[in-house]
Amino acid sequence: MKNTVLSFLIIATALLLNPNSARGHHGWAAFPSGSQITLKGTVMDFHFVNPHSVVEFAVKDDKGQVQVWEGELTSRSNLAPRGWTATSLEDRDEVTITGYPAKNGAHAMRITRIVLSNGKELKLSGGN
Amino acid sequence: MISKFRSTALLWSLFFLNFGFAQVSSTPGQGEPASEEGIPVTDALVKAKCGSCHTSDDRGNMQRISWERATPEGWEQALRRMTLLYDVDLTPAETGHLLQYLSTYHGLAPEEAKKVTYDVERRIHEETAIPNTVMSACGRCHNFARVLSWRRSVDDWKELSRAHAVRYNARPSEEAIAFLAKMAPLHTTEWAAWRTRTLDKNPAGRWLVTAYVLGRIRYFGEMQIESSGADGEFNTRATLQSVTDGSTVVRSGRGLMYGGYAWRGFSRSGNVTSSAPNDLSNDAQEVMTSAPDESNAEGRWFWGQYQELGFDIRMQRATSNATLLGIDRPLLKTGSRSQRIRLIGDHFPAQIAQADMDFGPGVTVRRIVSHNASEVIAEVDVALDAPLGKRQVAFRRSVMPGALAVYDRVDYIKVTPDSATASFGNQTRSRGYQQFEAIGYQNGPDGKRRTADDVELGPVDVTWSMRVFYESEGSRTDSVGTVGPTGLFIPAADSPENNFDVWVIADARTEKDSDGKPLVGKSYLVVTVPVYTFNGRRYVRDLDRWVDDGPARPVQQ
Repeated sequence: MKNTVLSFLIIATALLLNPNSARGHHGWAAFPSGSQITLKGTVMDFHFVNPHSVVEFAVKDDKGQVQVWEGELTSRSNLAPRGWTATSLEDRDEVTITGYPAKNGAHAMRITRIVLSNGKELKLSGGN
Repeated sequence: MISKFRSTALLWSLFFLNFGFAQVSSTPGQGEPASEEGIPVTDALVKAKCGSCHTSDDRGNMQRISWERATPEGWEQALRRMTLLYDVDLTPAETGHLLQYLSTYHGLAPEEAKKVTYDVERRIHEETAIPNTVMSACGRCHNFARVLSWRRSVDDWKELSRAHAVRYNARPSEEAIAFLAKMAPLHTTEWAAWRTRTLDKNPAGRWLVTAYVLGRIRYFGEMQIESSGADGEFNTRATLQSVTDGSTVVRSGRGLMYGGYAWRGFSRSGNVTSSAPNDLSNDAQEVMTSAPDESNAEGRWFWGQYQELGFDIRMQRATSNATLLGIDRPLLKTGSRSQRIRLIGDHFPAQIAQADMDFGPGVTVRRIVSHNASEVIAEVDVALDAPLGKRQVAFRRSVMPGALAVYDRVDYIKVTPDSATASFGNQTRSRGYQQFEAIGYQNGPDGKRRTADDVELGPVDVTWSMRVFYESEGSRTDSVGTVGPTGLFIPAADSPENNFDVWVIADARTEKDSDGKPLVGKSYLVVTVPVYTFNGRRYVRDLDRWVDDGPARPVQQ
């Protein structure tokens, strides 16, 4: 699978360079590196997988309505050497997550920082 | 027929060859005197066909060949290379003989072959703990299993590296050679033990078969194997019946046993029922590994552009004893009563008693509903305080470990595989499908999900849907593909010439979470184009990876 990840990175890069592939496997293309946002929420699910790990978390908006966000991390293969496991984020964990929001307005972000409610920051890679 | 069969049985080696893999140096080396003892070649045909280039010493060692061992697939690649690149003239019968001899007497011990079984069985497998130097030396074109399909002397690993440097402009890596020489040496204790055994095994006879098809539960049946009369070749006939709906699949085929344990076969069904990619009547390659005592075998029968579809197979030799093969339901809930459960097996006696069956503590047999030689239907009660988790089921002395799970609730469902790849087709490559399955789990003693003590309960009844990343719920996904009621993802027929990240979502029909909402499981699916070009090179999709296919060729008009 390590090969797979490397391969995904290759194709992601290729597609980024291909103007006809704007919607291709996204790498980080869907998340422009403009200003970041920070959200406080509750973990609903954590997918510790390749090619990207994904955190699903619930955030209350200004009106008290719950919005479900998806935050993307680098791959399981990249996170595992940094001590991550499938239980690094558990259901109902309170988290503060910072990252680049999706450019199409979807409730999705490329995560750059995760802080647990006890103040512990989970170590992330530099992204891919 | 033999040649056709053999070619088909080892089809994937052709596939890999086309991808530019190369395992064996094509030029027999004229190197230094060997520092390790070789394995003498005793076969007259090998000497006759290979001897003009691979010279022999006075001990019967032939250059290169005596310092290499490989799987049948490895040797088939080598023979094909010799045929294509060096005009070695081989008839199909001669090819078969050479393959049989080399795979047996210059093969891998079963323990060695087991480490790369996932590759020949075409299973998605995460290869880990491989040094970066080795990955960069080999990983662009090979998965690591392909490398470990060979055992070589130190000198031969060096020779392989040298040949790759010449042929593929691959930079030699001393560190990679040292790693491989240690990881995959010519002489091992496993091989030393195996080569002293009688390798001329005979799989002929009646075998009891358990077949598992992702998304379709379990099939039981039997396979009759008999000698075809040709050297080392066997005819097969398998009859499998679904425990779910009673439907039957009949397959006929041929196979060979390499090295006394490695079954390679091909089978087809005369009653093709549909053109569906996951139709169980599809022609299939068979890869199985037999136990040293020939009492059982397991492996995979598969098909598809990427060999991504098929059966997981377990077989055991039929005996005259009552044999339990399986049960028709993997789960029983605590506190439930009069639950019907079907035991499937062979040679169940004419007279049976409730005491003949054992479902473990807390599960009692209320009555026997019916029985015959191949099945027993019983009604059982499950105590409210029955121990949770997996347990064995037994009929007299025939025991099936972990066949049944007792549970009080499903805590979560997991979609397997948790991440996967499917691909659109093009003019030359068929679509690549992906079969999903939703498995129920209980948290286990620690009360946490996704930990080591979680109890796998088995398949859960779900409805399937999909959502493209960053699209809102309910958005159309037709241009990407569809996921059917059995969890099979079928890419769209027209390739959008693009890749998509997709959630494949399973919603449990009955199981709910603590808030009363249906349990949901998801898998991360990437749907890709089958081929792409980048920086002048062509990359081609394999089962779970991309392979550098060499310089991009001009598009044929």
